[in-house]
Amino acid sequence: MKTNRKMPLKPLLAIAMSLVLMTATACSKQDASGGNEKDADGKYKDKLKISVAQTTELKDGQMNNEFHKFWMDKFNVEWDYNYIQWDSWAEKLRLWINSGDLPDVASWNYVHGDFMNYVDQGLLYKFPDDWKERWPNIAAAYKLTGLGDKLEELTGGTYILPKPVYYQNKPADPLVNQIGVIALRKDWAKAVGFELKDEYTTSELMKYAELIKEKDPGKLGSKLIPISYNADDALTNIVMANSEHSRVESAFYKGEDGKFHWGPADPETLTGLKLMQKAYKEGLLNPEFYTWKNNESGDNFKVKGVAGITSLGGLASYRQDMDKAMKKNLDVNSDDLVHTAIVVGDDGKYRNLEQPNFWSSLIFSPNISKEKFERIMDLIDYSTSKEGQLLLNMGFEGKDWKYDDAKELVSLLPEGTSLEDKYPARFEGLYVLGDDFSIVNPAIKKEYRDTAVKHFQDKAKLGSEGGKLAEYDWDVQLYDSKAKSQASFEYQNEYANLILQSGDLETNWKKWVQSKQSLVQPALDELNNQKK
Amino acid sequence: MKPAALGPDKSLKGRSKSNPWFKEIWKHRMTYTLLVPGLIWLILFAYLPMGGLSLAFKHYRANDGIWGSPWVGFENFKYVFRDPTFAQAVWRTLYVNIIKLVITFPFPIILALMLNELRMGRTKKWFQTVFTFPQFLSWIIVSGIVINVLSYDGLLNSTLSLIGLPTINFLGSEKMFLPMLIMTDIWKSTGWGAIIFLAAISGIDQDQYESAQIDGASRMQQIFKVTLPNILPTVTVMFILNVGGLMSAGFDQIFNLANAATQNVSQVLDVYIYRITFQSSTDFSFSTAVSLFRSLVNMVLLLAADRIAKLMGGDGLFR
Repeated sequence: MKTNRKMPLKPLLAIAMSLVLMTATACSKQDASGGNEKDADGKYKDKLKISVAQTTELKDGQMNNEFHKFWMDKFNVEWDYNYIQWDSWAEKLRLWINSGDLPDVASWNYVHGDFMNYVDQGLLYKFPDDWKERWPNIAAAYKLTGLGDKLEELTGGTYILPKPVYYQNKPADPLVNQIGVIALRKDWAKAVGFELKDEYTTSELMKYAELIKEKDPGKLGSKLIPISYNADDALTNIVMANSEHSRVESAFYKGEDGKFHWGPADPETLTGLKLMQKAYKEGLLNPEFYTWKNNESGDNFKVKGVAGITSLGGLASYRQDMDKAMKKNLDVNSDDLVHTAIVVGDDGKYRNLEQPNFWSSLIFSPNISKEKFERIMDLIDYSTSKEGQLLLNMGFEGKDWKYDDAKELVSLLPEGTSLEDKYPARFEGLYVLGDDFSIVNPAIKKEYRDTAVKHFQDKAKLGSEGGKLAEYDWDVQLYDSKAKSQASFEYQNEYANLILQSGDLETNWKKWVQSKQSLVQPALDELNNQKK
Repeated sequence: MKPAALGPDKSLKGRSKSNPWFKEIWKHRMTYTLLVPGLIWLILFAYLPMGGLSLAFKHYRANDGIWGSPWVGFENFKYVFRDPTFAQAVWRTLYVNIIKLVITFPFPIILALMLNELRMGRTKKWFQTVFTFPQFLSWIIVSGIVINVLSYDGLLNSTLSLIGLPTINFLGSEKMFLPMLIMTDIWKSTGWGAIIFLAAISGIDQDQYESAQIDGASRMQQIFKVTLPNILPTVTVMFILNVGGLMSAGFDQIFNLANAATQNVSQVLDVYIYRITFQSSTDFSFSTAVSLFRSLVNMVLLLAADRIAKLMGGDGLFR
């Protein structure tokens, strides 16, 4: 038999071509085409395609509405929109940033250690030195965050735009985090004889839950969830209400002795855990509350109507959303059913976190072209102006709102509808958070706005008059080390696990505190030495 | 002896004498050409990335890249071994995977033997399809099904309530977590695992069965005296490969079935690596150090299992 000596050229060629294609694809880089020159009408001549990543869900077809078109036309941009789900936000951004795949501009939940690491590695775009003069509206809002200037001292430039929570409508002083506001069913409260107040201790809320569980005023039987908290809600409204240093934001703090401490090891945290375990064991929390994702606890209240208490948060817009959801899903008027209140510890002291005026941030790809960066900054600068804020939050003047004779804002939207219904997913509000305008937004019911402001003012008063607000300590927040990064835990899961364990809670908690010391103590030592 | 089919080849004349290995490759060059795509894939995606393991000894900086990042010696390992969760994750991984291996490993063999005994071709194929199908479902789907069945208001608890029995917190029980892993693993992987043993069984010389039948062997005796001894080398190789993966199996399954209540029993090494990589401050050097440690332990386990198999008279993995 004769062997065929011909070389197998075809398969080899195919492999070679595939490799060439793969290499070409891998090495190709999209360059920006076009500049920022404007025509005689002041419009940008060249269209730029800009990728953006936000946590606002944009569904198919929603980009075609009048609102989005306005922004695209005004700034002559084509969006490549990337929706990020809330639950995978941190993880997805970490992947994008570290792999060099960050969209041109993205919302990122600022973590100081990561930020310093990214800057050190050149993973974030460095702003031009004169950016504050070129985009004054952004600069003005940026200054109010406090964080921006401090980070510039550390890094020698601007790499991030912390998002201001409040810009022109600060509701209270001192500013306290919006978390720690609950909603409860007031119709059920009346039915079981439970007094409605503006603030409740954790035990009072548990008493309410026990009463509705016992008397079942909603006739829900086994479907009733007296307290619909997920693990994070339970941490906020039960544990933090009794221990202000039990959360990750405030876990490391300087005590009265001048030394740094780790809050989860404080006896107050154990108090909170005991209350949480009591709520679980008595069937007030759902047996599987720790498996719930972000929205599930709230949905039991506003979508299914089977919960007595849920965690709401302090923004008027949250209350408005709840109103809409209850109308849509349960066909009820939420004003007849919902009462909101703040939660204080069982010792009567109010606890929460002192709120720096920022939450999350905007970052830019290190590979972004100068033209794209400038176009986005132009857009943000406009969105931060008074005109831009009105457009973002109220829609178009004359069509969606107007000024009345007293120069007050008046919404022209039909009763029961909101701007979100008319122009869904208004992600163009990239910078200033909606919290600011929600204080004065006439599209939100005045009653909700007033209640939200009252809660903020009560929090500020109770927190500063005998309460315990966890100070936002810049020395701790801006300290970055490997030891401190390693001593960061998902406390909501750790606490849920602790209260679910069999055996004595105090013994388990002490064991848990001990088990974390090999990570916590080095971080404490560093912080204490840093202060010397 | 010179192979007749090759014939005289001047270009190989000089080399063939000094290099029989090359001669052998040239003789079977068509077959070896078929290996080229696989070889390229292996080099590109398995061997070249191994260079990235050097990150375990570096402080990774993205702008310097893997090669340009500064060396830090064993600094990353210092942090790895300081974390008590790491040691717990190592022991938990070994514990979970050894128990899973001991319990689940025989199932594909048993299924293969059972399927082999089916004489009706259609029935055999039907059963094989039914048993193999779950393998094609991702763990996300399987865990979704499991959670829906076992949750507090799921199918099983609803049935228990209907017949007046108390409900059981399946998903939040540490004691039930490992059995849940084992049962779902058996359900999902047994059919797929059986294919390799069925292939080994199909290669058994039928004369051996005929001889056994002439000698009056029953079906069971044929299984134990003919089938099992013949597939033993395959069983050994599969067992050694499984032992070699003891430190790294089961991320998808465990990650999707775990929750806060079961975090103490579900923190295996893969979940730990995921957590330190994506859920806390990103440090690829640190994650690589943990991964390298895991790979080293896997290699030691693989070599040890191979050595033990040889000492017991088996073939082992490496000749």
